[in-house]
Amino acid sequence: MTFENNFINHSKEYIFLDNDILSNQRKKIFKKIIQKNYDKKNNESLKNITISDLSKFNYFYKPIQEKSQVSLIDDFNYEIKVVNGICKNYEDDNIEIRNLTSLDFKSFLNQDNSNVDDIIIDFNKIFLNSGFFFNIKSNTKLHIRLIHDTSDNFTIFQNNFINFKKKSEVQLEDHFNLTNNSINNINYNISIEEYAVIKHNIFQNFANSNKLYLTSNTVCEKNSSYNQNTYNFSDGFVRNFHHAYLNGEFSNASLYGCFFLKNKNVCSNKTNIIHNAENCVSDQTYKGILNDYSKANYYSNTFVSENAQKTEGYQLSKGILLTDNCSFFSKPELKIFADDVKCSHGSTIGPVDESALYYLRSRGISKNEAMKMIISSFIEEDLQNLDKDIAEKISNNLSDYLNCLVK
Amino acid sequence: MIFLNINNLNVSIEGKKILNDFNITINEGEVHALMGPNGSGKSTLANVLAGNEDYEVNSGKVIFKDVDLLDLNIEERAQKGLFLAFQYPVEIPGVNITPFLHASINSKLKNEKKPEIDNLSFTKLLRKNAEELGISSDMLKRSINTGFSGGEKKRYEILQMSILNPEFAVFDETDSGLDVDALRIVTEGINKFKNPKNSFLIITHYQKLLEYIHPDYVHVMRNGKIVKSGDISLATEIEASGYQNF
Repeated sequence: MTFENNFINHSKEYIFLDNDILSNQRKKIFKKIIQKNYDKKNNESLKNITISDLSKFNYFYKPIQEKSQVSLIDDFNYEIKVVNGICKNYEDDNIEIRNLTSLDFKSFLNQDNSNVDDIIIDFNKIFLNSGFFFNIKSNTKLHIRLIHDTSDNFTIFQNNFINFKKKSEVQLEDHFNLTNNSINNINYNISIEEYAVIKHNIFQNFANSNKLYLTSNTVCEKNSSYNQNTYNFSDGFVRNFHHAYLNGEFSNASLYGCFFLKNKNVCSNKTNIIHNAENCVSDQTYKGILNDYSKANYYSNTFVSENAQKTEGYQLSKGILLTDNCSFFSKPELKIFADDVKCSHGSTIGPVDESALYYLRSRGISKNEAMKMIISSFIEEDLQNLDKDIAEKISNNLSDYLNCLVK
Repeated sequence: MIFLNINNLNVSIEGKKILNDFNITINEGEVHALMGPNGSGKSTLANVLAGNEDYEVNSGKVIFKDVDLLDLNIEERAQKGLFLAFQYPVEIPGVNITPFLHASINSKLKNEKKPEIDNLSFTKLLRKNAEELGISSDMLKRSINTGFSGGEKKRYEILQMSILNPEFAVFDETDSGLDVDALRIVTEGINKFKNPKNSFLIITHYQKLLEYIHPDYVHVMRNGKIVKSGDISLATEIEASGYQNF
């Protein structure tokens, strides 16, 4: 189906339909996409993606609320199943969960502007068909396991809002159970209030026919902490674009990611941290292992505004290329307008360290096993920072990945 | 059975000939020392024996326990009983010492068709051998050679040798970068391991190491081949007047 047909034929299925402002915005974006009015050379959202490919899809969406669930494993441990973008409305002393309503339109319009010229966000805006709102209440200590179930052929354009209230301490896990031929364009707006400490683990592993475009915008208030860990083992296309705003002093954000690619997989990554307040710390680290003909890119950006003195901002990207045919493009960028800052960036991409391989083999370890040891060691230290369950899950997925690539 | 016989070995790297009709025979239980000026081919020999794929073997044979080592890959040589103690042991962050050595010994045992060693027995063996070498149990929790001092790296090489129990060990300038105390600890480790069943090729520049190890033979290497062989007195002669007479 053509892009025009998708847009026109399904226009009644989008949310916030009754709003004129959005209606006009949608029309403008529609025109922009049709005219391909993007800077194709420098637009980071178009790296490894073409407008034509993005525009060719069959829009399909039917809200089904029955299967969505909120389960309490215990008083502080929640499992939330979001089915085809829809969650079950729920509230208790710790958390409020609901699907987006017209009341949320204001929040939707007030989203940050760092996504300007992001074609994926443009698609999200015009086809927006689902979204949820989580409100995690003050002083709660929770573990939330969020499972995104998408059925065959569904096209999900979702905009979610999560508010972590003051002094909440939460471990949020995102798992994506995608079946076949689905498109998942998900945009998170996360707000972290004062003294809240949030650990956000994102786990991606799904079949080749699915596509996931995951974007997040996180705003950190005074003394809050946001630590995001993204692990991508997917065979399908994944885009991870994550932005964090350190708006309150003494806040910190770390955006970590690891991806494991094979065959002709493609993965596009970007992290962007904006320091708007004094005494904040940020860390952006992405690591990738690429095999066969796989391709990846990683843009990291640190912006330090004039008043963000005593900033610490670090960036690092590391890649192991297992064949001559795979590629990893990495571009670090720092824009610093304050004078009392500590910032750094580094990037190392190359094949497996031959001297390490030789050393291990010289002790009787086969080449395959030695490769596995070296590749596992690449993320070993990161796993130590994760909870046992998720670290174990990642280890198992890594073993599967290694067993596939080392034949 | 021929223990080790290197016959007319010619080796080059990027077209440059390094070993030139190199010959040596080492019998079971013997300790040989190999000395020679920089660039004479000593480290090349060590690496070629271990199977380093950067070197091109143009011709020759390396018979070890009746098998031509040149037909085996790196790990097969180690499993067969060859051990190279590196001049500069590689740091491998993230690969923990204990599981690595456990995998090493089990690959050797598997190759010998012997039962593999379980976790508990291995840990006991490792701790015992480490203690004898003055290696703390904390160090065994670390990544291979990562953050180790020069002395610790060499001690860890000896620990690996004591666990893997090779029949033929090549020490490539193991004394480089070691202070007197570290040198003594390392050589004590080698001497402790020496027995009538295993043999050593010690590559060094200095007589000091050989004073501790007492080799049966000393060879002088120049331009890719042995130009003189003798006993420990040869090392004393080199110490006094250098390599100009060879």
